[in-house]
Amino acid sequence: MSLGRFLVRRTLQGLLVVWGVITVVFVLRFLSPGDPVTFVAPLDASPELRQRIAADLGLNKPMHVQYADYLAGLLQGDMGYSYQRGLPANDIVLSRVPATVELAVASSIVAIVLSIPLGVVAATRRHSPADYGATLFSLVGISTPNFWLGIMLVLFLSVQLDLFPTSQRPVGFLEAWTHLIRFKLAGPSLSVPLDAGAFADDMGTWLWHITLPAVTLGTYFTALITRLTRSGMLDELGKEYVTAARAKGLPETLVRYRHALRNTLIPILTVLGLQLGTLIGGAVITEAVFAWPGLGSLLIDAINSRDWPIIQAALIVIGVSFVVINVAVDVVYGYLNPQVGYE
Amino acid sequence: MVSDRTWRNLTVELKRSHLAKLGVVLILFILLAATFAPLLAPHDPKQTNPGEANLPPLGFSETRTESTTVMEDGEITIVEEQVQVNAQMEHPLGTDHVGRDVLSRALFGARTSLIVGIGGTALAAMFGVIVGLVSGFYGGRIDDALMRIADIMLAFPSLVLAIALTGLWGQQSESIPDPFHELGLAPDMPAEIVIPSTIIAVVALVNWVWFARVARGEALSVRNEEYVKAARSVGASDLEILWRHVLPNSLTPILVLGTIQVAAIILLESSLSFLGFSGANLSWGLDIAQGRDYLSSSWWIATVPGAAIVIAVVGINLVGDWLRDALDPGIDQGEGGV
Amino acid sequence: MPRDLLSVRDLTTRFFTQEGQVNAVEKVSFDVEEGEVLGIVGESGSGKSVTALSLVDLVEDPGRIVTGEINYRNSELAESASENAPDAVDGDFVDVRKLPERHRRALRGPDFATIFQDPASSLNPSLPVGEQIAEAVEVQRRASANPRSTRSRTQSYGLGKFLLGTALPGQGYLTEESKARAIELLELVGIPDPAERAEALPHEYSGGMLQRAMIAQALAGEPELLIADEPTTALDVTIQAQILDILGDIQEETGMTILLITHNLGVIARMCDRVGVMYAGEIVERGSLEDVFDNPVHPYTQGLLGSIPDLESAGGRLQPIEGNVPSLLDQEMEDRCYFADRCPNAMEECLEKPPEFPGPGSPDHAAKCYLADHPYEPEQALPEDYFDDESSDTTVGRDDGKDDASGEGVSADD
Repeated sequence: MSLGRFLVRRTLQGLLVVWGVITVVFVLRFLSPGDPVTFVAPLDASPELRQRIAADLGLNKPMHVQYADYLAGLLQGDMGYSYQRGLPANDIVLSRVPATVELAVASSIVAIVLSIPLGVVAATRRHSPADYGATLFSLVGISTPNFWLGIMLVLFLSVQLDLFPTSQRPVGFLEAWTHLIRFKLAGPSLSVPLDAGAFADDMGTWLWHITLPAVTLGTYFTALITRLTRSGMLDELGKEYVTAARAKGLPETLVRYRHALRNTLIPILTVLGLQLGTLIGGAVITEAVFAWPGLGSLLIDAINSRDWPIIQAALIVIGVSFVVINVAVDVVYGYLNPQVGYE
Repeated sequence: MVSDRTWRNLTVELKRSHLAKLGVVLILFILLAATFAPLLAPHDPKQTNPGEANLPPLGFSETRTESTTVMEDGEITIVEEQVQVNAQMEHPLGTDHVGRDVLSRALFGARTSLIVGIGGTALAAMFGVIVGLVSGFYGGRIDDALMRIADIMLAFPSLVLAIALTGLWGQQSESIPDPFHELGLAPDMPAEIVIPSTIIAVVALVNWVWFARVARGEALSVRNEEYVKAARSVGASDLEILWRHVLPNSLTPILVLGTIQVAAIILLESSLSFLGFSGANLSWGLDIAQGRDYLSSSWWIATVPGAAIVIAVVGINLVGDWLRDALDPGIDQGEGGV
Repeated sequence: MPRDLLSVRDLTTRFFTQEGQVNAVEKVSFDVEEGEVLGIVGESGSGKSVTALSLVDLVEDPGRIVTGEINYRNSELAESASENAPDAVDGDFVDVRKLPERHRRALRGPDFATIFQDPASSLNPSLPVGEQIAEAVEVQRRASANPRSTRSRTQSYGLGKFLLGTALPGQGYLTEESKARAIELLELVGIPDPAERAEALPHEYSGGMLQRAMIAQALAGEPELLIADEPTTALDVTIQAQILDILGDIQEETGMTILLITHNLGVIARMCDRVGVMYAGEIVERGSLEDVFDNPVHPYTQGLLGSIPDLESAGGRLQPIEGNVPSLLDQEMEDRCYFADRCPNAMEECLEKPPEFPGPGSPDHAAKCYLADHPYEPEQALPEDYFDDESSDTTVGRDDGKDDASGEGVSADD
């Protein structure tokens, strides 16, 4: 199958998934206890006021009409207004996306940078202290709930040693860059000074604040990939083509990386594709631990206050991004594994 | 049901692998703790005692600043004094912010984790295996439809779905009487075991897909075997064939997957109760959430239940590795995560 | 007088498994003359593949070469080795086992090249065939560009470069020249449309084409010695002949020395100048092709040759030797001739101690058997049911992982 057709098919599948999510959430709204109006209306609101609010929110229409209205709104990019803050759900949700992306990317980088070398070393030096260390780490790493790990990191590194802040994200990654980008956009004629100092300050602050959340979220994946890399490498290194590659004079580094590791990474990628949901789910929990202002903490706040438009918008954004990442993983998979290609 | 060869593989692997032995020991430890919690726990896990709040575990002592308000000659003065708080033998792992015994709560928390872990896995396995067997055995339209639904389930982060479902649906729970209490063996302990039914239903709902995939694969591979054809030719009904021939063949991979799933679901349950979406009032995740507010003063409140989760999940994962290495069911590592 | 290219003395390789020590190769000695094709023949499990792997130091855990010399004649190597490993050098010969590991590794490719039994599993399934051959070219190119440093073969290729190479084209290991050379080599072994086929993955090749590609890969380093380990076993009968033709042609053109390992007597007869017969980890008979085939001394060799179907006779049935290759587990090996239990001419002295194998300097045709010294003495013969009790013990499988391809016995299908 060509890449183009593959992308089209996967996109259609993805749309189906997102539609499924929307529908489930919509139905859930009718099934779950608690009238949204009570969360919006003042405590002493009269029945008439409640009626008016319900009518304003479109809640008094029949379910299928509300559903159609909602889908029609979505198609126009309108996800409704937050019950709590009265702002468009789009704006609120989108403003939270960068924080979550920062967290997910930072922890993925931590995981990949640490785990693959660790797994390779463990596999190539079997029964060495490094191997035992890696095995123990990966076992405990996949068995530790990340919220508890986060709390323990806070306990030791923030409360006891005062090395890192306990929570918050005072500055975003992109905000830090505006010190440099603003200069570029404005052009030299406006002579806005290049504020490298402020940039460095902000980047430092950002790094300082994201370290613990990223480690918290990244540990599970570091452990998982280490484990997969180790066992995959052991598998591959025992195969005949590795012996044959050595026999033709290839240096060990080439045998290990160009051959064995390459073939190890292909199945790892599949598992990671399956585990992406864990990354996103883990991000929700991590954000809750560190008060990290991303989609996850927004979702939990919205669930607690029954702010339905926000809940729906957040779930849709999570669903869409999940589908997009999954497709990306499949494209890389097809590229790395030409034997399979795009199926 | 279990062949001699399977037993031999299991025992050989158990003898060979120290990690497998450790896993069995850890699981037995947690199972015993959960079962006999009312006999082992020194206190009623729900009993608050403000006078004994925030006691440290044995071997630790804390220095705290306590302020008392003194009224003297019509003037109010606040006197601060340094107080040494020592551990008490009665509370080996300390007490929480309202004076509940941390060890007792950890023991009873094991019950909730195992009830949800095993119950959720059983429910997910039951549903998933039926769907998978039917799907793989009949193929065609039914297969397409069921697998499409499974794809959709897999294509959404299951933890997020579980958070949304439990957060929005609410958290009902059922209670059954505690047999130890009934028998009068543990009169001071809670009279009932709480079964968080919503959580069990939700974790099963977001995890059945893994079982369906495995069972479908097995059913597909068995469907065209000669003995299945033979059974059919002598007039065995589909149900008989599924029950007698297809299901037994799927048991090994389902057992291995089930073990991994118990670990995954225990982690999932702890995450949900950490967020406050739990139907149980005795749960490791819940205690961690409460202890989090007292990190700077009483670190043990959050530390102990977390360590309990790690012990339980490490044990189950080790046993899962053991089963997988011994039985080689063709399930990848990392498959079937939360 | 042809000179020896390789002179192997008392090579012993053992596997230290959980079940016990397996003596896969036991005190094997042989010489390979320059420009000849030496055949080693034996049943599956006789240790011939482990011998091949031992020569190129590719025996894998839990296997280890325990003792022995592998003397390789190469005056350049002897000169350079006399500086850093003087005790390995003896005239023009270098005992490669005494070389430091990285120098020993550097021999693979330009000195010793290997072709394995199953081409489909000997090539990386996810890299194009041409690229894999180009690697073999590239590694020699880089080595000869800087012959002093063994490190230069790596040319700082590591994890970082690998990751970069997957992301950015042009960051990889290969150069255009080596890719072009790979296509030439493919053409040399008779692959049609070599430029196009070079881009294909191994699974897009047929078995015969893949083995041709393996030969091309082995030729990349212009080796002094080509070790062909069952090069035709995994192939169809018609394809086998083609592969042998290619090997024969190349040998004729370049005068390359070939060590051919096979269980197939037809292949030996077709290709080899001299032959060694292996049984239970030992060489039991050696000599020129004519000597061994026309006047076999060892009953095992006689049995092997007897198992060639006589196509002219009406039945043409294969007559396999009764019994199995013995377990090579150390604890089960008795101090006797290992073939005695299958030998139709076993005598009492065969059980007392194993016969001596003539050492170096002995006649070209020699056998590890008392029958080489004196004729069969029927009065010393063992009772017919002597080994019946233990016959069931001797079928325990070996665990060297290399020779168990299809449980092939010795056969003569050509």
